[in-house]
Amino acid sequence: MRNVLIKEMRLSASPLTYLFILFGCMFLIPGYPILCGAFFVTLGIFHGFQSAREANDIVFSTLLPIAKKDVVRGKYIFVCLIEGAAWVLMGMSTALRMTAFSQAEVYRANALMNANPFALGAACVIFGLFNGIFVGGFFRTAYKLGKPFVIYTIVAFLVITAAESLHFIPGLSRLNAFGAADVPLQFAAMLGGAVIFAVMTVLSCRKACKDFERIDL
Amino acid sequence: MAAADVRGLVKRYPSFELRDVTFSLETGRITGFVGRNGAGKTTTIKAMLNMIRPNGGEVCFFGKPLAGNEAEIKKRVGYSTGTVSWYPRKKIRDIVSIVRRFYDTWDEAACRRYTEMFGLDMEKTPLELSEGMKVKLNLMLALSHRAEMLILDEPTSGLDPFSRSELLDVFTGLKAEGVAVFFSTHIISDLEKCADDIVYISRGRIVAALPKEDFMRTNAAPGESLEDALLRLEGGAIHA
Repeated sequence: MRNVLIKEMRLSASPLTYLFILFGCMFLIPGYPILCGAFFVTLGIFHGFQSAREANDIVFSTLLPIAKKDVVRGKYIFVCLIEGAAWVLMGMSTALRMTAFSQAEVYRANALMNANPFALGAACVIFGLFNGIFVGGFFRTAYKLGKPFVIYTIVAFLVITAAESLHFIPGLSRLNAFGAADVPLQFAAMLGGAVIFAVMTVLSCRKACKDFERIDL
Repeated sequence: MAAADVRGLVKRYPSFELRDVTFSLETGRITGFVGRNGAGKTTTIKAMLNMIRPNGGEVCFFGKPLAGNEAEIKKRVGYSTGTVSWYPRKKIRDIVSIVRRFYDTWDEAACRRYTEMFGLDMEKTPLELSEGMKVKLNLMLALSHRAEMLILDEPTSGLDPFSRSELLDVFTGLKAEGVAVFFSTHIISDLEKCADDIVYISRGRIVAALPKEDFMRTNAAPGESLEDALLRLEGGAIHA
């Protein structure tokens, strides 16, 4: 699998895939729907899938001495690594906002979602949706990218809108609290987001392995 | 010993069907796979490599079924397909450096030898190569990992006569080393020069899978060349 990952990084990936990891730093932008950062990260991965398709990457990978399912697993692991790197940047940005910049007025008076553990959990959900809807959808044909990406985009923006508005619902404002008081609750929400990510990714990968076995290249 | 056994391969498409394709490929022999465009050559080769899922039949390499032994078998089999180019904007050097990681049998000396023989420039990208040079790049990749069997889909198409002649000499050299070479082609004179066996497919069905001498004895009229015999047979098949 190490060699498959190296192939993904050096041959299949687009430079934009790596560059767009930096959108994880959007968690530092005040007064901005910061979950869009997670979406932009996946946009970079989507571009990587596009350029890989034009380079006959899937057929090339299938001809390598690996099982077909390892082609799929390699893609998923690479996608998760990119998402993980972006999530680390989001985490660092969140830590900065909650500590060093905690007194900054722009952050204290933020009308939209605050960067906190709940937001990190919501980012996990966005990434899980990308893996479940887009990556899984791609491997149903191994060449059609548009439809799964459009579906993912619609669902992702519904989730972003819901997450951004959740704290306006009475009783849920604690999810968006700024400061240390509600951090345990927010960490529980983050854990929930991570579980959703893991479940969606694993289930999608398993199904994609089966789908990929069935299709003709 | 059979390097590959294809038994009862069936693949159904809405407008085409591969029917009960059965043949065997022996080690140390060169087998030519012939048939007109759309006869099912590439479909058969793709099914042999698990690139398409057959509706029936089985493919075994070195006595082992492909299903369940895919990775191990692919290490022992080299494959090249015509003019398809991988990663058109990556340098050939980078592509080679990745491919070699997957083969513990990678032969750096052979890689250099074929790179030189085919006149490939490692600093170029596939996008900068002519169609013939793309064929040579694919062949270099297939030949550089000491494969025990080579499956080549139209390896000589697009090659100049000199390169074709060199390639046929390479096949003959590999045959002497015990490698099984299976290649599809439309250039029948290539088969006349180097093939030991002929697998002839027409409209998705194997018409003959025989040693070349037996094929000529049973199918060619006295004085007829292999190409003339195949043209006559194909005419008959179409009119049948």
